[in-house]
Amino acid sequence: MENLQLTLSYVDQVLIFVCFALSLNLLQGYTGQVSVAHAAFGAVGGYTLGYLVLNAHMGALEAMVIGTAGAAVVGGVVAFPALRLTTEWLILLTLAVQTIILSLVTTVSVLGGTYGLQNISGLTIFGHELANPSDMFPFFAVITVLVYLVCWRLGESPFGRVLRAIRDDEIACRSLGKNVFRYKTMVFAATAGMAGLAGAMQVINISVASPPLFAFDQSSTMVAMVVVGGAGSLPGSIIGVMVLVLLGPLFERVLNFGADAAALWRLVAFGVVLIVVLMVRPAGIYPDKTTRRLGKELDRLKKGPQGPSEFVPHPDLEEMKVIEDQLGSDEKTTVLPRAVGIVEANGNGRAANGARGDVVLSVKGLSKRFGGITAAENLDMVLRRGMITALVGPNGAGKTTVFNLLTGAIRPDAGEVLLGGEDIVGLTPDQVAVRGMARSFQNVRVFPRMSALENVMLGVQHQPGESFVPLFANIPRTQKVEREVEERSREWLSFVGMTDFADYAAGALAFGQQKLVALARVLATEAEVLLLDEPASGIDFQWVNVMLGLIEQIREQGRTVCIVEHNLHVVERLADHTYFMELGRITAQGSFAELTTDKRLAEAYFGTA
Amino acid sequence: MSNLTLGNVLQVLANGIFNGTAYALIGVAFGLILSVSGRFHIAFAVTYTLAAYVAAAIGFFLHLPFWLALLGGALAASLAGVLMERLVYLPLSLRAVGAGSDPLLVMFVASLGLSVIGRNAIALSTLSASSVNIVGFDNRGLNVGPVTITTLNIALFVTAWVLILALAAVLNYTALGRMVRAVRANWEMSLCVGIDPTLIFVVVFAIGSFLGGVAGVFQATLTSATPDLGLPPLFYALVVAFVAGLNSSPIRVGLLGLGLGLVEALSSLVLRTEFTPLVTFAILFFYVALRPVKFDDLRRALGRRRTPAATG
Repeated sequence: MENLQLTLSYVDQVLIFVCFALSLNLLQGYTGQVSVAHAAFGAVGGYTLGYLVLNAHMGALEAMVIGTAGAAVVGGVVAFPALRLTTEWLILLTLAVQTIILSLVTTVSVLGGTYGLQNISGLTIFGHELANPSDMFPFFAVITVLVYLVCWRLGESPFGRVLRAIRDDEIACRSLGKNVFRYKTMVFAATAGMAGLAGAMQVINISVASPPLFAFDQSSTMVAMVVVGGAGSLPGSIIGVMVLVLLGPLFERVLNFGADAAALWRLVAFGVVLIVVLMVRPAGIYPDKTTRRLGKELDRLKKGPQGPSEFVPHPDLEEMKVIEDQLGSDEKTTVLPRAVGIVEANGNGRAANGARGDVVLSVKGLSKRFGGITAAENLDMVLRRGMITALVGPNGAGKTTVFNLLTGAIRPDAGEVLLGGEDIVGLTPDQVAVRGMARSFQNVRVFPRMSALENVMLGVQHQPGESFVPLFANIPRTQKVEREVEERSREWLSFVGMTDFADYAAGALAFGQQKLVALARVLATEAEVLLLDEPASGIDFQWVNVMLGLIEQIREQGRTVCIVEHNLHVVERLADHTYFMELGRITAQGSFAELTTDKRLAEAYFGTA
Repeated sequence: MSNLTLGNVLQVLANGIFNGTAYALIGVAFGLILSVSGRFHIAFAVTYTLAAYVAAAIGFFLHLPFWLALLGGALAASLAGVLMERLVYLPLSLRAVGAGSDPLLVMFVASLGLSVIGRNAIALSTLSASSVNIVGFDNRGLNVGPVTITTLNIALFVTAWVLILALAAVLNYTALGRMVRAVRANWEMSLCVGIDPTLIFVVVFAIGSFLGGVAGVFQATLTSATPDLGLPPLFYALVVAFVAGLNSSPIRVGLLGLGLGLVEALSSLVLRTEFTPLVTFAILFFYVALRPVKFDDLRRALGRRRTPAATG
């Protein structure tokens, strides 16, 4: 019986730390937000429970709920300053939070000071007394299962897909219409709440709420558990916890070290395990899905010649090249057999509501200065439906800055940007994207640790599974929509000829392939206005043709396209209207032929024939 | 909370200066390692503690004078720092790049592993004693007007500032210093001009761990050496290094450490002593929290509101 209690006490410890580690994994592994304050959030839950039980004579369950809510509120508050921080500053901020909370609980006398709150005993749950490890085990097991399910639902769903996109590239994520700040705040609050719950379990387990239970080394142990198990992998967290917690009984019970020495040896072994895992399995003992899949692919590649770096064109692309060859170099119309149907099937309703040539985006007096440098000065331009507008000019002319100003990445000093008649100046990039203007990036910005398919699925707008409430309240609908989103995204991947690479990690694809995935992603937003930053740069001739053909198809469907491009052959082939920029100003506009016949521009930029 | 007499205030200021000097030294040491190598080296706490234990052992077993024990302890810390870099951080940083992980996080977690190993290995090696003392320093109190300072305070103050100024001179006026600054600015580019950044990383680990070790020996001489000796100073080192700015000169970092010591000491005049760490970390919290606020944008936004009125 005694042995059973002892064994269950270890199991209870594992369950408590599983709750801590799962929630931290959601924050760190999925969302990429490092926190060394997780134990401090546990302290909020644990001390709240202890205080309410001792002083307000509250039941364990109610006190736990209040402790969890309290920790969630503290987590939500911490999220605000954490929103824009990079890893090192995030570590520092959470370290400050950890120290402040621990200093507070240590110094506030009603919380027992250094000794903490003692004798938090006589707790009952539904009339069931929590005195021994065996009493707590079923209760803790149920909570752990619930925490796992919540983390799984949040992490392995459209919601989690957005979290992983935030981890991989926050800017790209915002450009797809995701409100990154809202997601981060929710995740901080939810994970801090779950840590508070685990902290309350910790206090129930040993009937004491004291500072060492929630100290910095506990927080850092949790970080280690997540990393050892595998960041972004929930089963990995369970493995990480088991490895590190069960080192204790290994030294004490199996190797029969004395209690003091066993505690120290356990920690030494813990450090060694941590470093060995980092060296041998950098992604953890049981890595996340994409890493596992990539590992399998790499194993397969070792046995065969084909792989992501040796691209074999999709049959559609082969077919297109043949068609192009047949048409000859003078014929500029490209035909992608499957693509037309897909664009029609997915075409934005708004694109059809208006005549070709209608003004969709109108810019007036747009200006931006950075210190003494004028990035944009009094720009006036329009983008018209069903037409491709090109922005050309020498390096440093401010072309990409224009995209940044239009999409809200940079706030202009003056001027207005009317999208469909609505002034969008002051809106954030995600708000602009939701209103129907999406962009691609010169340096691609795919989400490297997510599959090509997931990259494209992130582009699809209005997914109920990306919101907290429907995710839990309407599971059948979110799953139905998820299947539709996947189907549509596969169609977009097929449109750009990347079907065979749907399951590859985007970061493992060749640059040209990444560009196509990024194009499929921006198309999947079904935005009416597409801003494409150097779509043909950095890719070889074959891909340039593919890309240009696709952009022409997009125009044919009535979408409004604006490209920034250095390659004049590309501009010549695509552009219906061209703006020429120099030093932040538009100095000429017209058809490409008109600009190239301008004597000054021909000498200064285009080169004389 | 102290009584607000002139004597008390001066005493508190003196305490602040000496505490601040210790913060200055560890801030400079930690900041040098982090800014040049990019390693979030929280195992700095271990090398700090190790120096104290080695110095105590030198004094106890070899009966050597304090200053030699100090040198021995600091050199041991320096060696430990270099070994950590060569055996753990460098190999891991190369793997992290390949695995696509955030190198900073990998370094942080590895450093965590080293800290746990180091702290508990030290505890295991001295299992019978909860703390050890460093002998051989004749610590006496000196009355300067209403203020009492100790010879240990003076020794720390002089040693720390000589080392900080010497480091600043090395960084600014020597070829080695130029190489360190080049690697700090852009280690990839430094490769192109013939500098081996991995060697420079070794140099900054050697220097940084040495300086941290000196601070550790002084701290343990004042109190005693325990396996957890390095943890609180690590936090202060982080605060000083980050708030001063990772690319700042040692003198600026040092002065910020001194300032932190003074602020903390002055806060003890109005708060209970146990609340003073709260002041430090509250400063850190607000500094980090407000850092992303673009004051320039705010000014511009306010200015923009005025613009239409002025022009219109």
